[in-house]
Amino acid sequence: MELQLPGIGEWVAAFLTLCAFSFLYKDNILYRFAESVFVGVSFGYYIGLAKINTLEPNLFRPLFGNFGEQWSLIVPFLLGVILYLRYIPKLAWVSNWSLAVYIGYYIGVNLLQRLQGEILPQAKGTMLPLNVGLWPTLCNLVVIIGVVTVLIYFFFSSPHKGVLKPTARIGIYFLMISFGASFGYTVMGRVSLLIGRLTFLVNDWARPLVHGAFGG
Amino acid sequence: MSANSISSGVVCPGGRGSGGNTAGIVRACTMRLNLSLACAILAGALLLAGAVVSEVIAAPRDFRLDLAVQDRPSDDGSSLILSWSTDPAVLTLPTGVVLEDDPQIFIERKTEGAVDFLEAGRTTISAGRFQDIELDSRESYVYRIGLQPATGGMVYSEVSMAASPKGNLFRTQRVNALVAVLMMGGLVIAYIMAARRGAKLFIRRISGLDQIKEAVGRATEMGRKILFVPGIVSVSEPQTLAALGILGYVAKLTAQYGTQLEVPNADPLTMASAREIVKQSYMEAGAPEAFHEDMVRYITQDQFAYAGSVSGIMVRDKPAAIFLLGWFAAESLLLSETGQSIGAIQIAGTAQVTQLPFFVAACDYTMLGEELFAASAYLSKDPLILGSIKGQDAMKIAILAAIVIGVVMATVGADGFVNWFTAL
Amino acid sequence: MKRQVPIMLAITASFLPVIAFFFPNAWINEWFNRKLDEWMVIIASFAFLLGIVSMVQVNLHKVRRRQKGWIFSVIILVSFAIMASCGLFGAQGERENGTLYPFTWIFQFIYAPMQATMFSLLAFYVASASYRAFRVKNMEASLLLIGALIIMFGRIPFGALIHPVVPDLAEWIMRFPNAAAQRGIIIGAALGAASMSIRVMVGIERPYLGKS
Repeated sequence: MELQLPGIGEWVAAFLTLCAFSFLYKDNILYRFAESVFVGVSFGYYIGLAKINTLEPNLFRPLFGNFGEQWSLIVPFLLGVILYLRYIPKLAWVSNWSLAVYIGYYIGVNLLQRLQGEILPQAKGTMLPLNVGLWPTLCNLVVIIGVVTVLIYFFFSSPHKGVLKPTARIGIYFLMISFGASFGYTVMGRVSLLIGRLTFLVNDWARPLVHGAFGG
Repeated sequence: MSANSISSGVVCPGGRGSGGNTAGIVRACTMRLNLSLACAILAGALLLAGAVVSEVIAAPRDFRLDLAVQDRPSDDGSSLILSWSTDPAVLTLPTGVVLEDDPQIFIERKTEGAVDFLEAGRTTISAGRFQDIELDSRESYVYRIGLQPATGGMVYSEVSMAASPKGNLFRTQRVNALVAVLMMGGLVIAYIMAARRGAKLFIRRISGLDQIKEAVGRATEMGRKILFVPGIVSVSEPQTLAALGILGYVAKLTAQYGTQLEVPNADPLTMASAREIVKQSYMEAGAPEAFHEDMVRYITQDQFAYAGSVSGIMVRDKPAAIFLLGWFAAESLLLSETGQSIGAIQIAGTAQVTQLPFFVAACDYTMLGEELFAASAYLSKDPLILGSIKGQDAMKIAILAAIVIGVVMATVGADGFVNWFTAL
Repeated sequence: MKRQVPIMLAITASFLPVIAFFFPNAWINEWFNRKLDEWMVIIASFAFLLGIVSMVQVNLHKVRRRQKGWIFSVIILVSFAIMASCGLFGAQGERENGTLYPFTWIFQFIYAPMQATMFSLLAFYVASASYRAFRVKNMEASLLLIGALIIMFGRIPFGALIHPVVPDLAEWIMRFPNAAAQRGIIIGAALGAASMSIRVMVGIERPYLGKS
């Protein structure tokens, strides 16, 4: 396979990658440079995305191109614009209207998502039979005890005294085992990300460079 | 295969032959008289039309499937449910037609007055059921099912009775969610009312809350700033709102103590809300002059660029206390570890189960899941809001009771109770 | 007016998706669910300008006052201006001659590599976090350590070499105690969020007014 010399893009990417890695040693001018470029570019990217994916196709084009059918888009347009009234001190209070609609709508959505999408299925998933053979029954019992004790740990209306104290304690033990498990699970995933990044540096930048410089 | 190609599959065997003859005649005619040309085209067209008509008349049904169409219950009047028998005894195919095991079937639909059937979807015969969507409740629809035998061509079932989709008033399958909403709403509101009437409501100490004051005090003594990170998502997420509730309390303390506060944001709407909250807190603490807008600022939307920038602030400005509260993803580790490396007191809180382990490992105090919400309510000191925590605990007891009953029911094989909790 | 209107707006807006969820009327679904969903994304997109104003203000302030590190504020402003202009006024993707438009080029060679690099830094952070987490101080920390070690060893071939039961034990912990604890956290947090939702829906909590 013939290797091409790294292009300007690969040089830039490799340089920024090394700058970012340098933070592991300590904060330095190179990291700060990469960080500043990353912050500016990423924000600029989101601005571009907002225009390309949302404002142009879902607001401006339909609203100004087909007002007869899409007149209702005037509502989010106005709510969007009045967000900026916070820069006019006398009218700043009006800008809270958009925030009120936005927060209000998602509060309603969240209420349903939490109750219907999380509590009902999670409660159902805990209603496990206890007559399915010794080992599966024990496993089911572990799940039931775990859920019940963790929920009791989250009980705020009375102090963790009397019977609640040991129960909440068992809940904490479950939480800690679970945190450990999640931790261990993630460690392996993170290592593979690092390997992926090192592979880029070696395969896309360093190897072609060495081959280009020394042949072979 | 589109609807057109299906219907052409029916017509073509005859049609292709006729078309071929027509083309031959046309080629011959162009060399002769115009009159002959016209006659030939007319004859060809008649032949073709004849073939089509005979095909339509001759193919009422090739097999029987006991097709039934009914309105989909609890919907907005845009769908019908088609069902058929999966019993092999019912499926009687024409002689010589052989099908593979569980063949693919083509669901075809037409409005009652229309001539052609159009493809509505595909499934396998064993499915026994098909839901047709995006229909018009003012129309009446009939269905048939097409099968492609290995020998080629297409065979059709009988045509179903006509049916119209009807809009329903209520989604009955969501009655469990309605019960949950009414129960939760009822309990929370009942306790809020009790608090309004002056009932004394006890709420236990929440770990991490006492340390907030301590952390602000320490920062004041050291003359260093406090960094408050309200998660990385918008105010559409309740965890962000809970974090902002705690921010209000922290800002009031920093205003009283004259400590510097910085709130970097990854979402502009969260920034707008956070700014309002901090401003209000400074006003309430009697230090409006100490508030300036740059205290609450925007960085960028990208989680890692944001985390990189905030990590930079941590190592450069060395805040004495760091609050990491709200919705976090993978950047939680980056932030909490950097904070830990500079020796700041760290108070964290999130309901993201995958991020909690990292906060627990790197932070001094971590509010776990529901504690974040309770802490936010607790700090408001508003008896009405405290009442709502009681309501939420009452709902917790109801859920625990339901789980216990559900375990008993599942054990005795009464699955109806357990299945009632299915979210649809 | 200053308080009542936003409270009414928030309460009304919060009930609309709830109504659409339970009542399958086509009109309700169209207006209370589909359109509102679309509108919220539009409002959030408008909000970016608030972010721009804040970001430009803070960085310009640093530059004007020549505060420590002001040059990096210049870099932020310039890189933002370039990328935002490319997104707002330029095209995306590939030109006919195979070269990339600036927006896509910057995305591919600056934004994406930086994102991947910052993500990969987590490998080092997870190592230092492990060191801290695994110092056994009490019963809770030792349980965390035991859980983590079993899962880590259970996921690599080395685990089976220690003892053949290790991978099975890791699987068992993930499926039972871990699932149980996560379920408890999810139910608890859902209750907290639902309770907060109701407080906003009845108007006793008003985060949109700068008061939570």
